[in-house]
Amino acid sequence: MQAALPSSARPNVALYASVARLGFRRQFAYPQAALWGLITNLFFGVLRIAVLVALFGSKPQVAGLTVQDAITYTGLTQAFIMALSLFGWTDLMRTVHRGEVASDLLRPHDLLYWWAAQDAGRAVGQFVLRGLPMLTLFALVWGATFPAGATGWLLTTLSLLLAWACGFAFRFLVNCAAFWSPDAVGIGRFAWAVLGLGSGFLMPLAFFPQWFQTVLAFTPFPSMMNTTVEVWLGVKTGPEAWAAVAVQVGWALLLFALAASVLSRGLRRLEVAGG
Amino acid sequence: MDKSSISRPGQREGLFSSAVYHLHLYFLLLRAQARSQAVYRLSFALDAVGSALITLAEFAAFALVIPRFGTLSGWTLGEVALLYGLAELAFVLMDLLFGGFDAPNLSGHVRSGSFNTFLLRPAPLRLQIFGSDFALRRITRVFLAAGILAYGVSASGIVWTPEAAFLLAGSVLGMIAFFGGLFVIGGTLTFWTVESVEAMNVLTYGGRTLISYPMDIYGQFLRKTFTYLLPAAFLSYFPVLHVLGRPLPDGLPLLAAYLSPLVGPLMLAAAFAFWSVGVRHYGGTGT
Repeated sequence: MQAALPSSARPNVALYASVARLGFRRQFAYPQAALWGLITNLFFGVLRIAVLVALFGSKPQVAGLTVQDAITYTGLTQAFIMALSLFGWTDLMRTVHRGEVASDLLRPHDLLYWWAAQDAGRAVGQFVLRGLPMLTLFALVWGATFPAGATGWLLTTLSLLLAWACGFAFRFLVNCAAFWSPDAVGIGRFAWAVLGLGSGFLMPLAFFPQWFQTVLAFTPFPSMMNTTVEVWLGVKTGPEAWAAVAVQVGWALLLFALAASVLSRGLRRLEVAGG
Repeated sequence: MDKSSISRPGQREGLFSSAVYHLHLYFLLLRAQARSQAVYRLSFALDAVGSALITLAEFAAFALVIPRFGTLSGWTLGEVALLYGLAELAFVLMDLLFGGFDAPNLSGHVRSGSFNTFLLRPAPLRLQIFGSDFALRRITRVFLAAGILAYGVSASGIVWTPEAAFLLAGSVLGMIAFFGGLFVIGGTLTFWTVESVEAMNVLTYGGRTLISYPMDIYGQFLRKTFTYLLPAAFLSYFPVLHVLGRPLPDGLPLLAAYLSPLVGPLMLAAAFAFWSVGVRHYGGTGT
């Protein structure tokens, strides 16, 4: 199918802003489900803290992290599960398999930007709904720490936005598999498992053996969460932190370019059966 | 379907032939599903490998970081693998057996009204539900769990005695019945709520994760809740403690290590009693 979209010189900012706003509002439709989700995340958070605290034992510091850092790390990862879709995201592949993508393509917008706007709104909504309460609980109950000073907050915010951007572009790329294969969900399972391990969700990357960290450093996965947490904790500060954020910018640009190119190839071979 | 092979037992025939007949019926249901799932081979292979990956990633993450720390409060990787493998093996076998009772599945039947069809068919209701969701792709998780367990057994240097074998086998059986019971309870709740009750996930998946690690790492409150209120500690933690030659906590008698094959079926029996109440209550959603 030909995507007859004129690539206008100026993207319609107002359109994407309202798409993002709607994506944000949609998250608040089922408050009860969100509450139970929060409780489940909290329970698993408690278990993960217990494992980390037991691992530390009486050691004051391991791989540059204190027990308190590890607890904050767990709180952050549990808080980001929904906002950064760490367990996976299949919205785009569903519209491709069902053919709904055809009506999305008729609309006067770029499909990648449209999904990005929608997912940005979704992410902010989930961060407010699930992330902030989780962080508050972790701060109150386990004394989770916060970024230090204005620079710390600035760097952390930048890094978090970039983590979302890298993560979104990666998820979008994985979803593009639906243009080629009816088994995109199965391919996604691989991707989400790798994301969980490589982004530092399952364990802080600093605890992994050096060889494994070196391998991961060549991939975009640490940029999808671990970097943000390290900047938040102040493990990385000053020039080191700025360098880490710069790496995130690089991966975000590369992944978005890749997503755009794969999408245009996918659209060229897209066939939608009537129905 | 080969009709001649499933002749219904007459009234006068004994309990044995009735059991054989029902078992045969159950395996027919499983075979039909296994066949349909194996039609798209690539899709099936991807699903099968993919469903084991989450567990693999989780255990690998733990195994990769433990050298930095030495032990998990005195438990070596092999000893934790014992607990982790037991819990995962039992849970995935339970998932294969009790998948039909899992709330998301049963909720679908309740919402769409297809649960009515089960009630109308001339076959025992529970048998039909048992045979209604057999996800063959989980077989890879069975192998993975067995692998982790085998590593745990060899690395923790267990002395193989009939007693140790009995304790570990009993632990798996107890856990299958226990978590099966939780699935049945979660499924039964959908007769009232239609949608699956998410709080149950904390007990099922949360409980599974909880007992995948030695329970002495948790605080008193959590450990006692999952020992005396919800007796999860009896399932694998106490048997493994005894197999490793460690004392039980709270000065519990040694007998507590042998209770898994009793605690699990008790939970399952209670769950099925609740199920009967639920089925009597069930009135459909009008669809």
